[in-house]
Amino acid sequence: MDTLLSLLHGFTVALAPSKMLFCLIGVFLGTAVGVLPGIGPALTVALLLPVTFKLDPAGSLIMFAGIYYGGMYGGSTTAILLNAPGESASLATALEGSKMAKAGRGGPALATSAIGSFVAGLIATIGLAFLAPWLVEVAVHFGPWDYFALMIVAFVTVSATFGDSPLRGLTSLFLGITLGLVGIDKLTGQARLTFGVPELLNGVEVTTLAVGLFAVGEAFYVASKRFRDPEEIIPIKGSLWMTKQDWKRSWAPWLRGTAFGFPIGALPAGGAEVPTFLSYSTEKRLCKYPEEFGKGAIEGVAGPEAANNASAAGTLVPLLTLGLPTSATAAIMLAGFQQYGLNPGPLLFAEKPDLVWGLIASLFIANVMLVILNLPLIGLWVRLLAIPQPWLYAGILVFSTMGTLAVNGSPVELAMLFAFGFLGYLMRRYDYPVAPMVVGLILGPMAEQQLRRALQISLGDPMILLENPGSATLLGIAFVALVAPFVMSGLNRFKASED
Amino acid sequence: MTNETRKAAANKPALIVGVLLLIVAALVGHDASQQTITSTYGVGPTAVPYVVAAGLVILGLAHFVVAFREGLPAPEEADSKALLWIAGGLAFLIACIALGGGFVIAIAALFACTARGMGRRALLIDAAIGFVLGLVIFLVFAKLLTLILPSGPLERLFL
Amino acid sequence: MLTSILKRTAVTAVALAAFSTAAFAQLNELKIMAPAAPGGGWDGTARSMQQALTTAGIVKSVQVTNVTGAGGTIGLAQLIGAKGQGDQLMVNGFVMVGAILLNKSPVNLTQVTPIARLTAEAEVIVVPADSPLKTAKDLADRLKADPAKVTWAGGSAGGTDHILAALFAQAVGADAKKINYIPFSGGGEALAAMLGGRVTAGVSGYGEFEGQIKAGKLRVLAVSSSKRLENAPDAPTLKEQGIDLELLNWRSVVAPPGLSADQTKALIDTVEKMVKSKEWQEILKARGWDDSFLAGAAFDTFLKAEIERVSKVMTEVGLVK
Repeated sequence: MDTLLSLLHGFTVALAPSKMLFCLIGVFLGTAVGVLPGIGPALTVALLLPVTFKLDPAGSLIMFAGIYYGGMYGGSTTAILLNAPGESASLATALEGSKMAKAGRGGPALATSAIGSFVAGLIATIGLAFLAPWLVEVAVHFGPWDYFALMIVAFVTVSATFGDSPLRGLTSLFLGITLGLVGIDKLTGQARLTFGVPELLNGVEVTTLAVGLFAVGEAFYVASKRFRDPEEIIPIKGSLWMTKQDWKRSWAPWLRGTAFGFPIGALPAGGAEVPTFLSYSTEKRLCKYPEEFGKGAIEGVAGPEAANNASAAGTLVPLLTLGLPTSATAAIMLAGFQQYGLNPGPLLFAEKPDLVWGLIASLFIANVMLVILNLPLIGLWVRLLAIPQPWLYAGILVFSTMGTLAVNGSPVELAMLFAFGFLGYLMRRYDYPVAPMVVGLILGPMAEQQLRRALQISLGDPMILLENPGSATLLGIAFVALVAPFVMSGLNRFKASED
Repeated sequence: MTNETRKAAANKPALIVGVLLLIVAALVGHDASQQTITSTYGVGPTAVPYVVAAGLVILGLAHFVVAFREGLPAPEEADSKALLWIAGGLAFLIACIALGGGFVIAIAALFACTARGMGRRALLIDAAIGFVLGLVIFLVFAKLLTLILPSGPLERLFL
Repeated sequence: MLTSILKRTAVTAVALAAFSTAAFAQLNELKIMAPAAPGGGWDGTARSMQQALTTAGIVKSVQVTNVTGAGGTIGLAQLIGAKGQGDQLMVNGFVMVGAILLNKSPVNLTQVTPIARLTAEAEVIVVPADSPLKTAKDLADRLKADPAKVTWAGGSAGGTDHILAALFAQAVGADAKKINYIPFSGGGEALAAMLGGRVTAGVSGYGEFEGQIKAGKLRVLAVSSSKRLENAPDAPTLKEQGIDLELLNWRSVVAPPGLSADQTKALIDTVEKMVKSKEWQEILKARGWDDSFLAGAAFDTFLKAEIERVSKVMTEVGLVK
């Protein structure tokens, strides 16, 4: 009841017309900057932070919330339209979203992404308001062994992106894990696979690999078969808006995506990528039209997008209750709070209830604004695809290199982008899936670090993974998920031979 | 996958991929063997590289098996001219940034070359479009976001 | 790579020759390089300087550039390549000293012109509130008995937190090589490990743990500064507890090598003016940074001493061979 009253009070702070205006400006700026590929929500917030300096604390926090959600949403727009996932969390969105966009269903893809983000943001923000203190207790008790087990679950589910050859999928995955080894080993500070190139010490940037394989690789591929088998991009086919069928296929993925995203996002080392992968593979398994996956299934956009946004709200749980910044974006938000002498942490709710509840209320409002602002824009975005193909792809390459240059303008980084682009082309040519490679790069280092931390705490005893109920359960789930398809296909064959 | 056309000779692309995988595995293994610093507790920085290298070896060998069976899917013929145009554009971009030629010229060239590779035949017009696009992007980043993209003599005129 | 840097340098050197000779007390133009990606700590310092310098009217135009990679050593190499250019500064700090050693960087901080130390933050050693350890001495005893059983949570390998843990072990007479230090990515994860009771002790900058300390979820065993902290007067220093160790996580600015005495003075004057400005003091307050301004020769001596201390301890811990 107290929570509800405080929240209502928060709304009275956030609903003042001037505050609403700040929120709208924030959403607009966040979307505009977040749309640039390579510039994820973290950088968007960092770059726009100075804009908020001039306002009073409440106003700037509200604008901040707008920028945050706007930046999140902007990232998925480029993933869908240009197949250039500007951040690792919109990788799963790009898989189906870009296929939908090319088939003239960019409108519904953007719509399900916007509404899914809205639904997820709404539910997760409610979760933030009511469950935060309880959830955070659970979250801090998640040890390195539990994280390792969670990564293993995610690894197993990656097989959903393998396409029709497990060998080629695994090859792609292992190459990704290999790339993940490059750079300074986080636990000993030692350089691995850098071959004396200092630029490699920081490792391979996920966005460089993703944009290279996806966007640049695709440009090469489309160009290479231009005469023989010209690609056809249909800006709009059928309804620009979601059909009744689309709604029916989207609502459950939205909810499931939220269920993955919010709790995992609340884990201090959970991140936004793992829930999007889990959501993608779950939707693929549950979907009534599994054959559409890989060709543009709306569930594959709805689920991961909801998971992505819910996890963003999830990261606010440890941030507000413990002062723990658990993602790059959260770290910058923390810096934003500190501008006003606010120290997120256990005392924040007690000391500055106005601001905290004002912020939570403005998250709700930012969410609504985002939908209001972006749904009308969908028609405009989709028309981008009507640009003549040579210019469209030239533009995609310009935007991809721009993103890389803005974050790290070294020729070595550009050379990697180029090399990954060509690799992406070759992989497409011989039907190797590209997504598992990016997944390997994201999950590999996380899994390795958590495993080694766990073993460092247990002084080398691997049984720690099975002795803890959390990790043991998750490893069990991973095992079942790994074995089940084989058992099922064995059973089917058995049945078939009986017939 | 059951109706593959069995070929007498080995499938060349699959063999090449297999060999490449073995080379990568060797690189990873060699690099791990050169590490001097270990962890005092738990497993060190070489454990995972060895596991990965072993996995790559298995995958490489599996490609050899595939090479003598169904092989990799036969690709369509590629338009190498188009590829060269785009690759040339990217190579120019990298060289231009590395040698301090600046962002705008690099982007203009990339835009023009890509459009050419995609079949347009108006290199100069496209270069002009790319130039304007690059300049606008540069100015937006520099003035609104205070993020300076790589600058050459041209960009310095605007700073 | 090297030739590219040289060529770029040549171009800028010609273009800027006019400026550098004219640079006396007042600078018209200043470039501040943050040798890290936008959004990080060094970037924050660079952009705050930009804000203070321009709003206080000390320098007309300030440009922040980001050069990412390898713990800042790529930026450092670029700065060293910009020999003789008196209109450039690079932000750096204690962490870079370790990163240079760890990355076996071909360039190092003795090759630049030191300008000034700007800020410093004390480190704290904390334990979960329900830990039986009450003082730094308790921790020292535990560490001497069995270093493997004392797990430390902190930031990256070879970073400030790691070095403090190692120096602590050394100072109390335990085997620094045997410390069980677990690097986490960022203070947030380390903090979670502490709160979850996964590790024995945690090391971090005071600011990062402040909320938890005030809420009584973490107990400070010691702070690493020479005096007690203003906002945590109850936390004793290491020295008070008989452990001869002092460590500050500082940030500073340095300039390219080969500057004339005038050029160096102009830069030091500019930074000093900025530090004294109202704008900078406000930023320090807002960000929770402590002013620890130290310029010129004094900073040079300090920097050399820090480099020596860090390389010694990193070799002893086995981070550098």
